[in-house]
Amino acid sequence: MQVARQAPRAARAGGPSGVPGPAASEFVAALREIVGPEAVLARPEDLLVYEADGLTLHGALPCAVVLPSDKTEVARVVRACRAHGVPFVPRGAGTGLSGGAVALDSGVVIECSRLNRILRVDAENRIAVVQPGVVNGDLGKAVAPHGLFFAPDPSSQLACTLGGNAAENSGGPHTLKYGTTTNHVLALELVLPDGEIVRLGSAVGEARGYDLVGAVVGSEGTLGIVTELTVRLSPLPEHSETLLAIFGDVVSACRAVGEIIKSGLVPAALEIVDRRTIAAVEASVYAAGLPTDAGAVLLIELDGPALAVARQLERVCALCAAAGAREVSVARDAEERQRFWRARKGAFGAMGRLAPDLYVHDAVVPRSKLPEILERVCEIGDRHRLRLSNVFHAGDGNLHPNISFDRRDPDELRRVLAAGEEILRVCVEAGGVISGEHGIGTEKREYMRLVFSDADLAAMCRLRAAFDPDSVCNPGKIFPSTRFCMESDPKARRYEQVELA
Amino acid sequence: MSEPVARLTAALGSEAVFAHEPRAVEGAQLEATLRPKSGEALSVALRLLSVEALPALVRGGGTRLATANAPCRARVLLETQGLGEPAEIDTDEGVARFAAGAKLSALRDALAGSGWELPLDPPGAGTTLGGALAAAAQGPRFASPRDVVLGLGVVLASGERIRCGGRVVKNVTGYDLAKLFVGSYGTLGVIEWAWLRLRPAPEATRVCVAALGRDAEADSVALAAARRPTVRVAAVVDAALVPGLVSAGAARALVVELAGDAAAVEQDAAALGDLAGAFAADASAVEALHAAQAAGPLRVRVAALPSLLAAAAELLRAGGGAVLAYPARGLLWARFGLEGPDDERGAERALRAAKEAVRAAHGVCLLEAAPLAARVGREVFSGALATLALERAVKRQYDPAGILNPGRFVGGL
Repeated sequence: MQVARQAPRAARAGGPSGVPGPAASEFVAALREIVGPEAVLARPEDLLVYEADGLTLHGALPCAVVLPSDKTEVARVVRACRAHGVPFVPRGAGTGLSGGAVALDSGVVIECSRLNRILRVDAENRIAVVQPGVVNGDLGKAVAPHGLFFAPDPSSQLACTLGGNAAENSGGPHTLKYGTTTNHVLALELVLPDGEIVRLGSAVGEARGYDLVGAVVGSEGTLGIVTELTVRLSPLPEHSETLLAIFGDVVSACRAVGEIIKSGLVPAALEIVDRRTIAAVEASVYAAGLPTDAGAVLLIELDGPALAVARQLERVCALCAAAGAREVSVARDAEERQRFWRARKGAFGAMGRLAPDLYVHDAVVPRSKLPEILERVCEIGDRHRLRLSNVFHAGDGNLHPNISFDRRDPDELRRVLAAGEEILRVCVEAGGVISGEHGIGTEKREYMRLVFSDADLAAMCRLRAAFDPDSVCNPGKIFPSTRFCMESDPKARRYEQVELA
Repeated sequence: MSEPVARLTAALGSEAVFAHEPRAVEGAQLEATLRPKSGEALSVALRLLSVEALPALVRGGGTRLATANAPCRARVLLETQGLGEPAEIDTDEGVARFAAGAKLSALRDALAGSGWELPLDPPGAGTTLGGALAAAAQGPRFASPRDVVLGLGVVLASGERIRCGGRVVKNVTGYDLAKLFVGSYGTLGVIEWAWLRLRPAPEATRVCVAALGRDAEADSVALAAARRPTVRVAAVVDAALVPGLVSAGAARALVVELAGDAAAVEQDAAALGDLAGAFAADASAVEALHAAQAAGPLRVRVAALPSLLAAAAELLRAGGGAVLAYPARGLLWARFGLEGPDDERGAERALRAAKEAVRAAHGVCLLEAAPLAARVGREVFSGALATLALERAVKRQYDPAGILNPGRFVGGL
């Protein structure tokens, strides 16, 4: 894993993608003409905010940031970028963790925060039509009075936007039962990389042609810019229970997860918080009264008809006890439920206390392999002398090993990156993949070959070529730099023609 | 034997290529049948077809040949039933990898007693997994397979064997290409195998049937019934499509299957009794829905918002159709009778009704079955495709020589 920090090309060469200074100011003027002067940021101090997303190790300064207010402006901005040979990147709230919202090659960031209206909530048909800048949690609040909810619930849901969720195919704790974003997006309005506005899918959930909605969701903003989403809403469950099972070690907690999955139970969430994370949480403002001598806690949520939940609760308690839980408590009221969840949701914030930097990893393994994989992950962290903790969506097999470090220590940084690579290799060898919800972005593109063959990657590039033949929409993401697309010269950043074998 | 077919035979061997006199199938004149027995053989076959620019009609169990546009340009038949690698069933994890050529019925047998079930139930006894995925075929219990496919092995038109997705239940590693192949009617690649997310076998199931009237209230009762928590089938079906299911004189039947926790199923069964006067029935009622969905000389499928589905159904009935509707899913099938395969007027009348229904309900429609004469030269998918240029670009990327089911998908793709 490389620490990539691109020098801003605008500073080096005086203009976007190397075009000379006057052309650059002409370009910025063209953008201002489209969206108004206040909606274009081009001063270095304003651009700094957009240098990175949640993955602060990978950064690059955009040449400008544009904040369009409707789809027509998005399309016009895209066409202006094309006319000036400048690549562009859509950005939501910038909470992504794989560098996806960073503009490489001094591109333009198209920020969707002004496209923030909930256009329609159709409770009868359980759908909502929203703009991409709507915050995930705000949609939840808007539809709750109708007895509905939007299922994908990333940990960042108070900040992250639905456009970003669609780009990354975001998950969250409740993915286990309800699926990820792709299972809840019915239709999209998309500005294609040539500026054309198209509508994909339909509110009725059937595509007329290819399932291009399915292809665009999770494509990390490389196939176009989403300007409207029609999403599916789910009925709030009749009843839910939250349990906290306390284990002596994280491996036993993993074993309990495996047994629950094997039994055919489908809890709404199955989350593990390990000892080091508990310690950090308990020392922070998120303190939830968790036992700091526990090896791990397993947070379990069950939902559905009250009768069914009561019976599931009994079975889950028995499975946890059999796996060695020393205590299982059931939240007595909403307040206690929130307290249990606080430990999980506040974990990342609490980590800030441990060290200046936090590397949040993301990989998936078959759930039955969790015990052995967790042991190996911890061993890798120890061997590299790192402060590694785990808080993760165990029910999905979605690991988040977190490494607290200080980037000012080059040796520690090197060890962080080496351990990260080892963890990914171990997960892939176990039948897993290198990202469950954060995406590939710039972070993991060099590791794509751990999972996919060149032919697999070329097949993905064919899709890219159909949408964006010139590779101007969020270039430099997902695909490995060699052979596929990333060349040092952005003009050469084209996909190779895939030859027939 | 034409020269391209002779070269195919020479390359693949006479055990995989069966040349014959031109045979009319679905408007195409086919001069050979290819039966690859492995992904490797399929790869060689497709590469050669691309080189020869010889278009193929790809066929799984042959249960949906009459669905989608008539593949008039095909010159060879490519059968995928020989793709039969052994299944890999992970009962700890609730996932399984199956070969595309396997029949769904065999997969159900393989899973019997495992604690897991196959979340696919399209009608058609001989339906193969590959065919069901390519057509995104759905049945009474389970909606489109799009959300149960974790990973796919696909052979592209170039002969490249690729893998999309994986075997884990959560995955954002690169593009989700599997979505592209599911429902593409074999026009972008040939599915070789699939990892599927299985469903836990329910503890209890219960089938309930109620007689419904013709009034609007019946529709709202049906929707309320369909939204009970343990419902996995909720159909409103015209009595004519399910003879004997409800007492003579009832216009429609509500058929519900409850599945899941035994106590919750009991509770929902009682609620359905109160709501609609539903009474217990046996699983044959669900089988009757399978039969109703697949029957008839001319059939259309309409997807619409739940609130508009009843209106669409009324227009189809007014045009002479008998309707099977899944209110909560916003999906219906309408069957029309014809006076023989040459009944052009009958076909026209049915298609007019379908058009009206789709317009009124802002829906999406597919002419799922009709006599060949009514399909040749006609677009069986509803409406103009506004994104056709983009869809063509996708097709060109994956099948530049146009050998995979050319013309079969919407807009001549």
